[in-house]
Amino acid sequence: MSLTPLPQVPEEFKVLSMMNNIGAISPERSLSTDELSQWTEIDASTVKAHLQKLREGGYVELVDISGTQKYHLTRAGIMKVLTLYS
Amino acid sequence: MIASVEYAGDDLRVAMITWEYPPRIVGGIAKHCEGLAKALVNQGHEVHVFTLDFPGAPDYEEQGGIRIYRTRSEVGHPNFLTWVLLFNHYIEKRMADMSRLVDFDVVHVHDWLTAPASIGFKHFSKKPLMFTAHSTEHGRSGLHIPDSFTIDGLEWWSTFEANKIIVTSGSMKGEVCGHFHLADNKVEIIPNGIDAAQYESVVDKGAVRARYGIQPHERLILCVGRLVPQKGIEYLLHAVPIVARRRPEAKFIIVGDGWYRDHLEFVANTTGHRWRITFTGFIPDWDLVALTKSADMLVVPSVYEPFGIVALEGMAAGVPVVASQVGGLTEFVEHDRTGVLTYSRNPESIAWAIDHVLSNPGHAEWMVKNAREVVQKTYSWEAIAKRTIKVYKEIMG
Repeated sequence: MSLTPLPQVPEEFKVLSMMNNIGAISPERSLSTDELSQWTEIDASTVKAHLQKLREGGYVELVDISGTQKYHLTRAGIMKVLTLYS
Repeated sequence: MIASVEYAGDDLRVAMITWEYPPRIVGGIAKHCEGLAKALVNQGHEVHVFTLDFPGAPDYEEQGGIRIYRTRSEVGHPNFLTWVLLFNHYIEKRMADMSRLVDFDVVHVHDWLTAPASIGFKHFSKKPLMFTAHSTEHGRSGLHIPDSFTIDGLEWWSTFEANKIIVTSGSMKGEVCGHFHLADNKVEIIPNGIDAAQYESVVDKGAVRARYGIQPHERLILCVGRLVPQKGIEYLLHAVPIVARRRPEAKFIIVGDGWYRDHLEFVANTTGHRWRITFTGFIPDWDLVALTKSADMLVVPSVYEPFGIVALEGMAAGVPVVASQVGGLTEFVEHDRTGVLTYSRNPESIAWAIDHVLSNPGHAEWMVKNAREVVQKTYSWEAIAKRTIKVYKEIMG
């Protein structure tokens, strides 16, 4: 049976993948939206929208560090992003 | 701080290296390593597992005699392959530190992701290296992008450096020998194992089913796996309307998560039967065991499957298994005797098999009984650990 062509990996995975590879897997290693935007080369408002969706899915967690909102992967986020590589 | 370990005679000291080990579970490798490590320790051997850190898990712990070292990468990098090389570096450093306290007999690495550390340690320690190839990049996703060529090269390097390679099925042996041009006697088949005792607990099936919204008169068709294309879940979703015509009481639960999930949910929305389909995401192990035991069948619609441990789990749990006729699945799911095989990538065939199982409860019960016998006889971790030790001793000379 022929199905639809294989879809691209959703763009929010670029954010998830970046957070994993760079080590943002705990509150003290969290990254801000601006940092994630720079690393992924995705504009900040889009990164913010992706992070909102990922938060709703329980894949990232938001923490407040010295007045800056930062994000890190949750356990579910790590497990989800690693499906890209196995 | 870890004290020096005394040598205990003929028993072996195994350095096991893996990028996933519970609670860090990506696919089947974590469970494989845990099952093998437990069985090796039960047989009197020492197992030191070197793996990556995971939130909430300690840097070092002992679990039932297994020594687990979780290593944190002190630096990361946005590029995936660079990140892999970095964590390999930190794992290798940890192994080198430990080698001052423990004289390992054998180094056993699982898949390419931790191969650079293991190969480095092999040369540093002058100990034999065993490589378990759980799958290949060529089989997983083809070689369509530059990263895949690099991974393929690292896999080849692992097979080149290893004294012996273990694969979990005859199908994988053919794939690995063919793709990497390996001599037949360099590759040993030792299947995956299963802890059948895990499935012996008594479960209140009615309560479990109710928790997942399954009414007593409904039939629960379960599918478990990473939500990635090679698991073939979209073919099961395309089978849903066909099944529903014959079996209006059918409900489908898809357990797992992955980068393909959005697409699969989109496909589910197009079936006209979205209400029959539940995506649970990841669920805890205890709940997965309870859900599997409470299901009316387990469907494994994979299009690529070097072994297919999830089918073995279904067989151990006592539910009829419907599986694609691909890879390692065909080596323990015997059509109409221990399960039902379907054509790969074929929703009609999957629908036929589901209906076949539901329409013949006596026959399904007989298949379940046969399947359990096969699991107990051939796929216990004890038996697999013994076979693994035999290969360790062979490469140790």
